[in-house]
Amino acid sequence: MTVLPDSAARRARGGGRLLAGTARPGGEGLRAAIPFLLPAVGLYALFTLLPIADTLRLSVTASDTGAGAAAGGGLQNYARLAGDPIFWQALRQTVVWLVLHLVFAGGLGFALALAISGLKVGRIFYRCAFFLPHVVSLAVVGVIWSKIYDPYFGLINGALYTLGLDSLARGWLSEPFLVLFSINIASSWQGFGLYMLLFIAGLQGIDRTLYDAAEVDGATAVQTLRHVTIPGLREVMTFVASLALINGLKGFATIWVMTQGGPFYRSELLTTYIYKLAFQLQDHGRAAALCVVLSLMAIAITVGFNRWRERVR
Amino acid sequence: MSRRRSDRWRALGLLPPLAFLLGPFLWLLASSLKTEAEIATADPFSAPDRLMWANYVDAWRIGSFGELVLNSLANVAAVVVLMILVCAPAGYAFAKMRFRGSEALFYLLILGLTVPIQAIVIPLYQLLSGLGLLDSLAGITLAQVGNGIPFGVFLMRNFFRNVPHELLEAARVDGCSHGRILLRIFLPISAPAVLALVVISALGTWNDFFLPLVVLISPEVQTLPLGLVRFAGTYSTDHRLVFAGTVISFLPIVLLYIATQRRFTEGLTQGALKG
Amino acid sequence: MLRRLGLGLAVAAAGIAAGFAPAKAEILKIWGPEQITDPVIADLWNGLKADFEKANPGVTVEFMVPTGTISNGAVQAAIQSDAGPDLVLTNSGVGRVGIVAKAGLVVPLTRYYDERGWKAQLYPWLYDTLKGQFGGEIYEIPDGLDVIGVFYHKDMFAEHGWTMPDSYEGFLKLLGEIKQAGIQPLTVGPRNNANGGHLFGNLLQVSAGRQVVGEVLSGKRPWTDPAMVKGAQRLVDLVAADYVQPQMVGLDLDAAARLWFTKRAAMMVAGPWFTNNARKAGFDMANAGYATMPSDIAGESLATGGVGWSWMLPKTSRHPDLALKWLDYILSDAVMTRRASHQSSWMVYPRALSGLKPTQPVLASVFAAADKGVGYNPSVYMPGNVLEAYMQVIQGLIGGQIGAEAGMAQIDGQMQQAAK
Repeated sequence: MTVLPDSAARRARGGGRLLAGTARPGGEGLRAAIPFLLPAVGLYALFTLLPIADTLRLSVTASDTGAGAAAGGGLQNYARLAGDPIFWQALRQTVVWLVLHLVFAGGLGFALALAISGLKVGRIFYRCAFFLPHVVSLAVVGVIWSKIYDPYFGLINGALYTLGLDSLARGWLSEPFLVLFSINIASSWQGFGLYMLLFIAGLQGIDRTLYDAAEVDGATAVQTLRHVTIPGLREVMTFVASLALINGLKGFATIWVMTQGGPFYRSELLTTYIYKLAFQLQDHGRAAALCVVLSLMAIAITVGFNRWRERVR
Repeated sequence: MSRRRSDRWRALGLLPPLAFLLGPFLWLLASSLKTEAEIATADPFSAPDRLMWANYVDAWRIGSFGELVLNSLANVAAVVVLMILVCAPAGYAFAKMRFRGSEALFYLLILGLTVPIQAIVIPLYQLLSGLGLLDSLAGITLAQVGNGIPFGVFLMRNFFRNVPHELLEAARVDGCSHGRILLRIFLPISAPAVLALVVISALGTWNDFFLPLVVLISPEVQTLPLGLVRFAGTYSTDHRLVFAGTVISFLPIVLLYIATQRRFTEGLTQGALKG
Repeated sequence: MLRRLGLGLAVAAAGIAAGFAPAKAEILKIWGPEQITDPVIADLWNGLKADFEKANPGVTVEFMVPTGTISNGAVQAAIQSDAGPDLVLTNSGVGRVGIVAKAGLVVPLTRYYDERGWKAQLYPWLYDTLKGQFGGEIYEIPDGLDVIGVFYHKDMFAEHGWTMPDSYEGFLKLLGEIKQAGIQPLTVGPRNNANGGHLFGNLLQVSAGRQVVGEVLSGKRPWTDPAMVKGAQRLVDLVAADYVQPQMVGLDLDAAARLWFTKRAAMMVAGPWFTNNARKAGFDMANAGYATMPSDIAGESLATGGVGWSWMLPKTSRHPDLALKWLDYILSDAVMTRRASHQSSWMVYPRALSGLKPTQPVLASVFAAADKGVGYNPSVYMPGNVLEAYMQVIQGLIGGQIGAEAGMAQIDGQMQQAAK
């Protein structure tokens, strides 16, 4: 399943039958479709597209209103971004965050979905129970996990000290190479629920007879996984990956609540930097430029990912 | 016989990971029953001395949760209803109606999925201000619906694409307009997808914090997440109230999910995955 | 035709009714105070509100519980909305006031200082400071001053025979002895808040002195001045000696305070508001001591601070006259004394209040330190857009991610950009 419409596949499926007895394509079709589309497109255009366009405009016109009179015409804001080391650091860290989100949230969702689907007993119970973290708001997730990561009183270090594994105790939120990883675990703890559900739904859609055939052939669990389950989940995995990539790029709340991009910018993402530029530094031009960069990244990643999937198929 | 026993073992085997994953939840629940002093100085992972149910009463009273809950409920209800009213026809149009520019329009809609709220919050704020919609539940609802339309339309479109085309053709041959087809035929069978839309929209709106923070100023219109922020100060926070308030906040959603989870999963399957 | 007539009549009737209607209660909406969700503090403010309403019949005072500060944009969003507050009490300091003043969100109060006699109700030095901040225009009334110094455990010190030295070398020696005794000498919580700045501000003060810091903050001297770098280096050295531990970068104020309240740490740099944290944590401050950080420069062992909280009048205020009346009320002797004697009081008020006993013994030390003179807490004085870099650099210094010179250079770079 791809995020973007697959017109080739649609044509292949529908073929000539699509045209028989339906409205003629073109003008008549549009007129009939307008009342169906107008409310949605109208609201979307007003409350999403218009602000996006405004941001685009700001990125090429605004100057940093709070920090002096530097003129912002043209691509100056983009140039200033390019010369900003924090931007590049945030960019790198955003990519790392993306990958971590895919691996942790996606991976955990996948693993648990597999485990739950294999159950005859307690499936509903586990499906509900494992979804619970997803209902907690990200701000609270940040508060809870900050306590877990506390180097002196937190659960992790506390447990390690009790087990005598002192050397494994770390500054989860203070060490530069750990902080992004730690925050991501907290965020993935909250985020995996939806992916797990999607995988469960996908697993339900795999033809039972394939599993029976595998059993008859004497396949091991691993072989079944490789040759029946994973191929059957191809569509779902693509969808989940697309979704996870977008969600990962939008990651903000957990970081903001836990470290606000610190320590010393080690957990700064593009989204947190946008927030700081806009609300703290009052540099609306650069903030807008960064928004545009982020959106372009999202589009590029989504399109690129879908192209790659189609080529693999 | 042994299959059933191994099933039970497998079910039990998932309990440790569950305990591990739900640990933070239990911590939240336990902490919400502690006194402020306990939270501040005692071992964070010990059980509460006494069960301070008073924290819940206090959070409700001090945070004016009654008002907040009503506002949040109104907000969620409005968003959910609008989303269905607006996304179902649009999804149907993309799925079953042919018209010029449908693909381009769909791409335009997908664009909205990729944009984070931080990117548009300032222009959105100014837009709402210009329209006189700032500080109103109506304003925030419209903004949230506008931002949620990409996903909603996407979900409904996918679901409708999976509805066999013969249904549509038969109805057209009978002379039904698209409107009647949607209302009489497609909607009644799309309960799972609608439910998925309802649950996801409800969850997202209920927990929405960033936009309400900027748009809803008067306490009379604020929603639950903002209520929790009130307990935090520059240098000190009433943690017991934040924790109790959080538990109060997610209870309705948990109940909603448990009540709808089977059909909701079905809706996700057909709305998000097939096609 | 009939419908239009009916409509016209309805409008006329409404107009007449409005004219004859008795004056509705005027509502004065006040943003703040931020602690009003605490029952103890609510008790005080509801009392103040009741008395004001009694003295001004027809007026109702409403407190809007703050959802944020100037630093995170909540105050600005509130002022710009239609339902904005008529008066704001929030965490201030010239850096933050500057943000809203320059954005035109609050109105100058300069003339009221003369017209309404407010000038005489502040410490003279405070008034002079305010006058010098925005070229003569004053945009706030200070509500409370911050006086940041070192809180320590008197009983712990007595037990080990430790005393607060009067030189920085002595201070380092003391830290060593505390460490030897198996206690964490200093605790700090720089994550997500200003506590890193509190420690750093103290270090800068005792290393460079009040005048130098003042010049740096007003841009007359660079942050890379050797005296300032000395302060930064001292922080790095404290971490190297494990007197401040690098993992403390991951602590916020509550987590750092926990170390102090559980007596695992001996000292914590904070302001008088810390007694409020202690009250909530159920920690008895009877054995708490407060001292200014010792310095190697004569006369520079001072607490740092500045204006902590201020009242401001939003441009969109619907009842500016009522707001001004409230401000008169707040500045009155009766109200200030009442606030200062309340059990929750910890603030240093903007003028000397005679005959008042501090509500807690440790506050007596705080007020005594304030009398000695207060140095600059940079967090409160620097422009809003440099503050972020400042806090990040402090985290970097403690976490070992950047050296003293490079760190100060980064802050200086931001200051230069901001000054352009």
